[in-house]
Amino acid sequence: MGNGVGSEWIRLIVGLVVVLAFSQLNALFLVWLERKVAGHIQLRPGPKEVGPFGLLQTIVDGIKLVGKELITPRPADRKLFMVAPVLVFMPVLVGFLVLPFGPDMIIRDMNIGVLLVFAFSTFGVLAILAGGWASNNKYALLGAVRSVAQNIAYEIPLLLSVMSVVLMVNSMTFSQIVNSQQSIWFIFLQPVAGLIYLICATAETNRAPFDIPEAESELVAGFHTEYTGMRFGLFFLAEYTNMFIVSAVATSLFFGGWQGPFGFSLGIPGVVWFLVKTYVLIFVIMWVRWTFPRIRFDQLMNFSWKVMIPLSLANLLVTAVVIKLI
Amino acid sequence: MAEKFQEPVVDQIYTLNLGPQHPSTHGVLRVLLDLDGEFIVKADPVIGYGHRGHEKMGENRTYKQFMPNSSRMDYLSGMIYNHGYVLAVEKMAGIQVPERAQHIRVICSELNRISSHLLWFGTYVMDLGGFTPFLYAFDDRERILDILDRVSGSRLTYSYCRFGGVSRDVDVEFIEMTRAFVKRLRSRWSDYHNLVTKNIIFIHRTRDVGVITKEQASQYGVSGPNLRACGIGYDVRKAEPYENYDQFDFEIPIGEKGDALDRYKVRLEEMEQSCRIIEQALDKLPKGPVMAEKVPANVKPPKGDLYFAFESARGLTGYYLVSDGATTPYRLHIRVPSFGNLHVLVEVLKGTLMADAISILGSVDVVIPEIDR
Amino acid sequence: MPKTDEVVQKLRAMLPEDAVCADEAYKAGVAFSVLAPLGKLRDAARLFNEAGFFLETITGLDFQDTAELVYHFNCYEPKSRVAMRVLCGHDQVAPTVSDVYASAMWLEREVHEFFGIRFADNPDLRPLLLPEDADYHPLRKTFGKVNAYRKREEIYG
Repeated sequence: MGNGVGSEWIRLIVGLVVVLAFSQLNALFLVWLERKVAGHIQLRPGPKEVGPFGLLQTIVDGIKLVGKELITPRPADRKLFMVAPVLVFMPVLVGFLVLPFGPDMIIRDMNIGVLLVFAFSTFGVLAILAGGWASNNKYALLGAVRSVAQNIAYEIPLLLSVMSVVLMVNSMTFSQIVNSQQSIWFIFLQPVAGLIYLICATAETNRAPFDIPEAESELVAGFHTEYTGMRFGLFFLAEYTNMFIVSAVATSLFFGGWQGPFGFSLGIPGVVWFLVKTYVLIFVIMWVRWTFPRIRFDQLMNFSWKVMIPLSLANLLVTAVVIKLI
Repeated sequence: MAEKFQEPVVDQIYTLNLGPQHPSTHGVLRVLLDLDGEFIVKADPVIGYGHRGHEKMGENRTYKQFMPNSSRMDYLSGMIYNHGYVLAVEKMAGIQVPERAQHIRVICSELNRISSHLLWFGTYVMDLGGFTPFLYAFDDRERILDILDRVSGSRLTYSYCRFGGVSRDVDVEFIEMTRAFVKRLRSRWSDYHNLVTKNIIFIHRTRDVGVITKEQASQYGVSGPNLRACGIGYDVRKAEPYENYDQFDFEIPIGEKGDALDRYKVRLEEMEQSCRIIEQALDKLPKGPVMAEKVPANVKPPKGDLYFAFESARGLTGYYLVSDGATTPYRLHIRVPSFGNLHVLVEVLKGTLMADAISILGSVDVVIPEIDR
Repeated sequence: MPKTDEVVQKLRAMLPEDAVCADEAYKAGVAFSVLAPLGKLRDAARLFNEAGFFLETITGLDFQDTAELVYHFNCYEPKSRVAMRVLCGHDQVAPTVSDVYASAMWLEREVHEFFGIRFADNPDLRPLLLPEDADYHPLRKTFGKVNAYRKREEIYG
């Protein structure tokens, strides 16, 4: 863009402001989208009273949440209890720094972009554990422990499938990965990796059918049982923002990022392509949530360790062999 | 330094309260679970939160006044309980019921059975995490409630039957609505089977989960679809036919293993058989009066006792009436199927995982207020 | 009803002359009605268990001169219910059948809390439906509003 250090600072600040604004608006929008999608799948309209098509429903709900009393249980570990919701939101925001929204619309095009996103997303697990432990509640602890086990188990095949793509492109820079999908999207070259990534992404964000840590009928509400008011709101919003991040990463890695099909942009700006693809993926994730029942915890772990990991390892091996041969 | 650390926690059994306030609603049930990690070592249900004293009320009300009570014990099979109570008193007092009324009562009871199973289906899959089939099942159930509302005046707890018949005749629209409903329900089976029965996650959560053996079933007095899923084909409508059930041609679905998946399949198949009964009853519906003549305003059955059994949506239900010749019963005892169905879980839940406990509790279809009476 | 006939034969052998009455027409909902003395209760229950019957329900009746326990046994064949009546004085202790039939654990708890009849050797006689600290027996005819308190012969002759 510009020249000199000054323009770099301006770019950084503008990027920061845009990221914060965008992430909040996006979270609000996604909550509305989830309720509408859920409603229509369940033969009912969803929110429609507040604002046109119920669009203002989330804002009103947010205001209501802010007005609620913030209760801290007396035997809880106060510092950890209050830190946990903040801790869960921060790493998600960091992920926005490296996402390729358009050809020149990356805040910081780091050469370890992919690594950054996944390194920071693991922080979220720490926050969940902190929240569950600090609540001093058997249900919350059970939920947090399950969440940690689930996240660790599904992190491995997630990273392995991403490694297959990185191996093909020979770089971890997002812009390079997107650029090399000009002729053909990687989803067609690496369908197994793409599917594994999508499944593991659903598990990483604790969405159904992998939502044992939070929406268990018997565990009340899992690790965020004892959280009230806006603290609960933070956990809630962090989940939706996380969903956006993993979908955006999937778009960049497998679905061509901001490129149109076969490189033809058809006159539509790159950022629109990117957002459309991301939101379609988010819609698919939501669709899956309202269709399937929940997997039992031990079946979930079996699935990861006995099916996903061997599959993704095999995929990586095959990719390496094919690259060597070509 | 070493004193600051606690003893290593080895084999510590902790007690968890599956409390009276429960997201997976079956009524107000509290189960004290002793857990070893995630495995259940002991399960002790605590009931009685909904005890209203129906049996004591039975001794202080005339036979007609007790009619609303009968619906409110198991509110999901309200019509069937109503029907059974009326049949018990009619048998004791020797009141004959005209044919048209018999057919109407059978149609309404079977509609009630379908609506109870639909509600069970929706809530069971919701307990397992699939929220959507609940709304589809309730969509179908609303139609039944509309049909029964038209003819009896209430949606859930009916007092439609009277000693000697029914309170109000049905019109042509009732018949047409019921036929349309049966046709629509049959078209939904494929949806339910594709969405739930063939879903691999659902199958993994229910196959070989919560197996009730035949011995356990016999020891605890399990009845209804739970018993039939174990492989014992006992249905009161076939074993002790009441009303005119022996005129209708229907089958009793029987399972094999007695696990949650079998219980699920048996109930779904039972709904289809109920549709068959309804269709046959509608085809054979004769003209005539719907109320017997000369039924006394205050029924006074002769001295003695009677045990009348019928098949509610949950299983073998019985009214045990002891009469001393007065207008109020001397003793009115109700044998409820959920009593045995819940009691058997004390044994079945041992050694299962916590997550399976919810699946098992849901699959035996217990309604706590009928245990509490 | 072959199973029922078998069991009734053995019962007739064990009990006094007129203890067993048949009800061919199934008028009272039972094929046979048996009046057993308190001491033979457990043996009779064992007979039913060996014949493959299940315990349907236990209930109590409160009369002026005596209390009565009514056991209903049933098996999975058509029209085979057998009622067993046991007269038990107001202050007598009845033997338990919970080691023969597991369902009797809860059924006896219910009869105990509503009628005050104690069952010997039942390991757990906590109230089932009433609160834990209930010290009243609601279904007795000396509790609350009661319409009639009769002697047994007024009803059963």
